[in-house]
Amino acid sequence: MLFLTKYISVGMWNMHMKGNGDQEPCFFLKGLQPSLYVELSHKGFHREVVTTVELGSETPADVRALLVYRWPRDVYVDPYQVASLSHQRGWQMLFNTAIDLEEPAHRTSEFSTYVFPSHAGPTPNPLKVTIPIHGRYHKPSFDGKTFTPVHIELPELLLWTKKCTPFQRLEPHTVLDAPCTASNTSICSWVKIQNPNKNSVPMSLHLPVGDGSTVRLISTGTLVVTLICCVVLCHSMLKHQLR
Amino acid sequence: MYSFTPEIKVCVLFPVSFVVRLALVVYGDYQDRNMVVKYTDIDYHVFTDAARFITEGQSPYNRSTYRYTPLLAWLLTPNIYLTVVFGKLLFIVCDVLSGLLIYKLLCLRGTARYVSSLWLLNPLPMGVSSRGNAESILSALVLGTLLCMEVRRLTWAAALYGLSVHMKIYPVTYALPIALSLTPVAFVKSLTTAPFCCLIRYGWVFLHETYFYHLTRRDIRHNFSPYFYMLYLTADSRWSQALGLAAFLPQLILLLVSSWTFHPDLAFTCFLHTAVFVSFNKVCTSQYFMWYLSLLPLVIPHLTLSVKQGLGLLLLWFAGQAVWLAPAYFLEFEGYNTFFLIWLAGLFFLVINSFILVQIIAHYRSRKSLDRQKAE
Repeated sequence: MLFLTKYISVGMWNMHMKGNGDQEPCFFLKGLQPSLYVELSHKGFHREVVTTVELGSETPADVRALLVYRWPRDVYVDPYQVASLSHQRGWQMLFNTAIDLEEPAHRTSEFSTYVFPSHAGPTPNPLKVTIPIHGRYHKPSFDGKTFTPVHIELPELLLWTKKCTPFQRLEPHTVLDAPCTASNTSICSWVKIQNPNKNSVPMSLHLPVGDGSTVRLISTGTLVVTLICCVVLCHSMLKHQLR
Repeated sequence: MYSFTPEIKVCVLFPVSFVVRLALVVYGDYQDRNMVVKYTDIDYHVFTDAARFITEGQSPYNRSTYRYTPLLAWLLTPNIYLTVVFGKLLFIVCDVLSGLLIYKLLCLRGTARYVSSLWLLNPLPMGVSSRGNAESILSALVLGTLLCMEVRRLTWAAALYGLSVHMKIYPVTYALPIALSLTPVAFVKSLTTAPFCCLIRYGWVFLHETYFYHLTRRDIRHNFSPYFYMLYLTADSRWSQALGLAAFLPQLILLLVSSWTFHPDLAFTCFLHTAVFVSFNKVCTSQYFMWYLSLLPLVIPHLTLSVKQGLGLLLLWFAGQAVWLAPAYFLEFEGYNTFFLIWLAGLFFLVINSFILVQIIAHYRSRKSLDRQKAE
């Protein structure tokens, strides 16, 4: 449905501007200082990643933003939940792969998502995106640890405007090819903003894991109790059977 | 014994139970639109998405986690063409129909018909069906099978039984007592017709998602099953298969013993089968409770328990769930490591369920023994 088929990282290009050639290439980038702040809310297996983007007062109204998240396999984003929320929250999400909602962490892999604000007009400033994420079950621990740490990278901020053909003088920013919209029907050249993050450290959470060292106790206890219940019930059935 | 004029009450009971369910559907729509915590069950969205795929000419199994019969998705295509609440309306109609079938069965068995109000006015099935779970379709099919068996409409019984097994696997446990009443040909036809049609249309993926997935399912996430933690800890070990088989044995033994000891009373046998199946299953969620609760009104009139004893058992059942829900909440929503407590609570819930079943078995008087007592 929403699959990214190609994601290309492009370095610095030395190309002449098309058209009249009298446009300053992406002049707005020189004074632009967008900032990005991310926080993790809630507890347990169901969290929310809240990203706030401030583009700055100098940003032209037609600039569009794209947030690229790279998620570890320890968590997942439910595409169906996101699809039902996107209308209320004013953004759309593109996944780079199908998501299995049930598999434990060690049987899945990392994935990426691309968040596009879906407003018809200018990108809201500040832009706030809240993404529900869910923790996966992990393999039991055999070293006494009761929690496993999960680190989530901070998202990348990409900007685009129709007037700008960003092929030169972008330092320290770089150019990346990415889908133009969540419908993934065309590729655009986006400007990846370097170091917009106000967060000093990446996000992390801890998920509970089972205690593998108790496997014998758990298995024995479970089988003994179920067997006892089975015997008691059988005895009762045979004692009170219909004649 | 109670003296009662149920006719007037029936004229009020069924409309009231339908209106209450309808009000819950309306309220659920309001809550979904205006509150963070949604009323509608996640499964309902899965059904609706699967129905949407069908309207687009695709397989319902394109919807991840859709593990049901394609018939259900077909039934809910009006969710896409008409209104998204169509499915909920269908489920509450089936819920009230289940109440009607219970009433009819109680009439035939000559027992107190007011007991059907235990289903019709029960908040549990009200909540389940109005939230968009399809359990009421299955309870209507199972109760319809029992009613047809009771009045010896065996062709209809065979058709309804086959359809119920097609919708969910667990009624297959009734096969032994039911097979004794149907002809072999009718029995085999009943179990194979609907699955054969779906196999032709959807192929292997239908068999896998509707049946094999549930037979081989090893859900390591926390649930009421006493086996949950053991299966989680051993999921990737070489003992996994052997333990899975060991977990299956008590269930199998109890199903065979209950068939042997109570098969003359089909309704009671089906109730015992379902309660044992759910309590000893490798996966158990609260939706599964509806499977045996729909048969409980048929059993209650035959119990010699006092009201006080009955209420005591009910409170014990709720207490068992509460003891499990507390650590489960802290695990899932607060992030505490409560796996060991959940394991203990799961075993405790099994012990409670077993105790309740022993009490029901010990205090059950079949129609024959009641008639014998009256004659004496």
